[in-house]
Amino acid sequence: MNLLTDPVGASHFMAVGAVMFVCGVVCMATKRNGLGILMGIELVINGANLNFVAFGSEFLRRNPDYALGVDGQLIALFVIVLAAAEAAVALAIALNYYNNRATIDVDRADELKG
Amino acid sequence: MDGHINWHSFYFLLFGLTACVFSVAVVLTGSIVRMAFYLTLCLGATAGLFFLAGAGFVGAMQLLIYVGGTLVLLIFGVMLTAQGPFVNMKTRAGEWVIGGAAGLMLLGLLLQAAFRVEEWRGPPEGVATATAENAPPGEIGIRMLGKPGDNGKAVGKESGYLLPFEIVSVHLLVVLIGSAYLARTKRRRRASDPAEST
Amino acid sequence: MDYLPTILGAAVLLPLISFVVIVLFGAAMRKAHVPTHYIATGAILGSFVLSFTAMCIWLSTHGIPEVHEHDAHGHGGHEEHAAGSHSAGADHLGESLAEGKLVEKGQDSQFIALTDDDHKEGGVGKDHASAAHGPDYVADDWYTISPPGIPKMSIGYHIDTLTIVMFVMVTFIASCIHFYAGGYMHEELHDVTDHEVTLSDGKHLRRPGRFHRFFQYLSLFCFSMLGLVIAGNVLMVFVFWELVGVCSYFLIGFYIERKSASTAANKAFIMNRVGDFGMLIGLAALWASFGTFSFGDVDGQPGLFSLIRPAENQHQMTTKDGLVQVGGASTEGESGDDTTDANASNPASFSYGLLIVAGLGIFCGCVGKSAQFPLQTWLPDAMEGPTPVSALVHSATMVAAGVYLVGRFYPVFTPEVLLIIAYVGGITLFMAATIAIVATDIKRVLAFSTVSQLGYMMLALGMGGWIAGLFHLITHAFFKSLLFMCSGSVIHACHTNEMPQMGGLRKKMPWTAYTMLVGCLAIAGAGIPFLIGFSGYYSKDAIIAQAISFTDANPSHKILFFVAAGGAAITAFYMFRLWFLTFSGKPRDQHVYDHAHESPKVMYVPLVVLAVLAVAVGWSIPWGTDADSGNHKELGVTALLETARPAGTADGAGTGVNFDVTYPAEAASHAEEIHVMATLVAFGTAMAGFLLAFVMYGLQRISAEDAAKQFAPVYGFFRNKWYFDELYHILFFKPTHFVSKLVAKFDRRAIDWVVNGTAKVARKVSDTGDAIIDKGLVDGLVNLTAGWIYSVANWFRNVQTGKLRQYVLFIVLGTVVLFVLIEYSSFLNAGH
Repeated sequence: MNLLTDPVGASHFMAVGAVMFVCGVVCMATKRNGLGILMGIELVINGANLNFVAFGSEFLRRNPDYALGVDGQLIALFVIVLAAAEAAVALAIALNYYNNRATIDVDRADELKG
Repeated sequence: MDGHINWHSFYFLLFGLTACVFSVAVVLTGSIVRMAFYLTLCLGATAGLFFLAGAGFVGAMQLLIYVGGTLVLLIFGVMLTAQGPFVNMKTRAGEWVIGGAAGLMLLGLLLQAAFRVEEWRGPPEGVATATAENAPPGEIGIRMLGKPGDNGKAVGKESGYLLPFEIVSVHLLVVLIGSAYLARTKRRRRASDPAEST
Repeated sequence: MDYLPTILGAAVLLPLISFVVIVLFGAAMRKAHVPTHYIATGAILGSFVLSFTAMCIWLSTHGIPEVHEHDAHGHGGHEEHAAGSHSAGADHLGESLAEGKLVEKGQDSQFIALTDDDHKEGGVGKDHASAAHGPDYVADDWYTISPPGIPKMSIGYHIDTLTIVMFVMVTFIASCIHFYAGGYMHEELHDVTDHEVTLSDGKHLRRPGRFHRFFQYLSLFCFSMLGLVIAGNVLMVFVFWELVGVCSYFLIGFYIERKSASTAANKAFIMNRVGDFGMLIGLAALWASFGTFSFGDVDGQPGLFSLIRPAENQHQMTTKDGLVQVGGASTEGESGDDTTDANASNPASFSYGLLIVAGLGIFCGCVGKSAQFPLQTWLPDAMEGPTPVSALVHSATMVAAGVYLVGRFYPVFTPEVLLIIAYVGGITLFMAATIAIVATDIKRVLAFSTVSQLGYMMLALGMGGWIAGLFHLITHAFFKSLLFMCSGSVIHACHTNEMPQMGGLRKKMPWTAYTMLVGCLAIAGAGIPFLIGFSGYYSKDAIIAQAISFTDANPSHKILFFVAAGGAAITAFYMFRLWFLTFSGKPRDQHVYDHAHESPKVMYVPLVVLAVLAVAVGWSIPWGTDADSGNHKELGVTALLETARPAGTADGAGTGVNFDVTYPAEAASHAEEIHVMATLVAFGTAMAGFLLAFVMYGLQRISAEDAAKQFAPVYGFFRNKWYFDELYHILFFKPTHFVSKLVAKFDRRAIDWVVNGTAKVARKVSDTGDAIIDKGLVDGLVNLTAGWIYSVANWFRNVQTGKLRQYVLFIVLGTVVLFVLIEYSSFLNAGH
């Protein structure tokens, strides 16, 4: 188990993906800035994407027959495109929110409070 | 262990650590401007990981669309809203602790899942290095337009991604119109009659 | 070999001699200004040299232990035991050496190959797939009385590598502490004015120094502890067990004029009595069932271990015929034949219940001595004693005695008892760790940390990790005594225990600060994964690996793994919280800071010596390869302990009859898969704890006061030590008080009885009873509960905030809980 001399596998990619995912989640949970939350979402999406790509590769697992192949990459592409769309809409919402309230603090938006 | 450095692993470590460190930095930094910068570096490193996993085309798209497009959009947002009090917004300590604890639990769960399956730990037997062989972009395009996979593995199971491709394109159109509409209404309200917005 | 008992016996007696000398001449020496600690220190140093010699002798006669190249997959199934219960006893008996003193039993083909040449010839064990083995040991009686009609009672010894390792550890740490105490207690050399005791005339107490008395107790304590370790039978263990208890009473109550110290000493003593009561029951059960007290075989008579796990039964647990029969167990299956051992493989049929009682009883004693839940409350209070006492009593010796006894009695414990041990350890571990987070008294943090680490050991032992638990016992002794002595050095310099008044001391006392940092790193289990680490890194890894291995076999006890992993994170957090609060940052109390100074050389040199060992004691040194078997030899604590593993436990402790629990072989936890996972878990959790402490107390990015305010109910709950003292107050003190009040009243009115008639008195009694029970006890309890629920519910109200970010958090927590539940239930289903 030496990271420098042993080949890496899908697990290791998943580990990096997990760190990004969790950072994204913590980012969403702790940032008060609306744009910070958007960045958290980007991190989460990328963390998930990394898993798709890792499972697509035939060289990262013991039995290459189980690999997703090109499908993994295709899903990743779709995710990237949808993330772009999501960012555009979310940004529009964020700007609208900012224009209406003159703040970007999401804690002010607590109309949902029960 | 013969002691030779496995360069593929080395680059994985390099990019992986960069991605991890900067994503943590995104969380820890208080300034929204720095967050955007760290996010750029993190996503760039992720593109590098895509290359290492043999997904060259996806990596390129990541750089082009994500780092080049989406993030620029985000940075625009930052520039438009980054006024004095909103650059640094402090979070209360308790929220840091709860968020951190929840994140660590989730991380533990995910890491356990990642390393539980022996099959995912490394390349196939006999392959010393996880050599990255990029799938040709042409194949990706063909698959996207509907031709079934010709590598003998997925034949018969599904027939390409024509329908999702169509849905995504319509979706993009909707998004374009929607965001344009959102941006437009706000300008009209502010310009014409502020009293009207009840 | 023959010298071994003599040498170790001398090592036991040296502190006793020192005790006697100081008792007789201590007062005279004080008047003549002869420092008494030279005697005590010399004695314990001599004991250490003798113990070390004994270890060298043992190693030279038995060779450096070999390490088996594990193969976890082909190892240990319980099917094999059931199948292999045919007798191999004749072969094993033939193995016994003619010496009589030295009884060696069996050998192991799978785990250790004993290096004695005599064993190479037989090779019996290799014929069996699951050959059990016994450790080498030397056992005999020094002195025996055997009145007719009752089993003999004797003073004897039982020496194996566990004994020897404990001897070296105890004497070494005790030596360091003696040196240290020579510096720490110097003010007791002259008359002392105790500023914490105010007499009725408003002056402070002035009394003669008690330097000699301190060392006299210390010597007696060392003698008792060493006697406990060398003891060859249960009775002797019990005698020394009580001696240890009484010495701790003396030492905790050293400043006897202080109210807090004398009550703490009483509390420690009484709490231990509660445990010892259980232990007496256990001893009675064992004696009644087996008619012998000795552990090993002495003079050809089988001891407890070979009666419970006879060689004829592959050293698997068995129960003797003719004992109390457990109701409902079927013996018809055996069709009434008069066999005793042939059908003994069916444990339910015989006095299995009695074995459980015996095991639980002995564990009760260990609960008291090792401060486990629910008797843990005495240990933090015991911090009233001088710091060297805390270091000796609460790291290396007295509390270790409980863990040691569990390890020694390991073959006697049935799987049911082991499971209870594991849960008690787990609860203790978690509870004490949470309290340590919020404690501000530097010694109390360490005290709760000790309780928590003892819980770790019990957890490991209870999960079948014999080596893991005892290994942690050894490593923990080193770094915890180091930590205690460092804290003593800080207290010596600051004259306060409160961490909020310290800070920035690193510059004033660098030796203490950096040796303590080493201690913190060691207890947090710091290390470079897969490469090298501090001693705690190895032992904690072993425990977590055992937890993984155990919970893989018993998915319904998965919670034990989470407790072990969570405990590791909390440990790292509170240890670095302590360090950062004490040594880094800015001085919070300028007065204290200005008066702080580095301790004298006699105090910090033992710190450095212990720090070096806290780093290195976990290392295993490769020692070449055995020429015959090709196995690697290793010199290290684990390898040594491995040769003392009780017979028949290498393949796991078996399967529970009354509970659904299966014990995997401990070797299974060495599998690459589990080992990698354990290392990652241990490193990750420790890192997480460290980072949190660093951000909160090192960088002060997150304000600790702010967090405490936000979690006020939880914080208060932890601050008040889970309200255990209050609970015991309500459960035991109040009813007793109530009853005694009632009795007093009854007495006072006994004369009126005649005068006023029965009815009036009865009404009065019932009236007072009503007032006290209803208003005092019931209302108090109800109000307490209601108040608590109210505050909890009030806190929960904050959950509904309407805030976006908290909802994200709930999603995450929900996901985690969902996954854990799914995993749990799927394992449960797979289990049936």
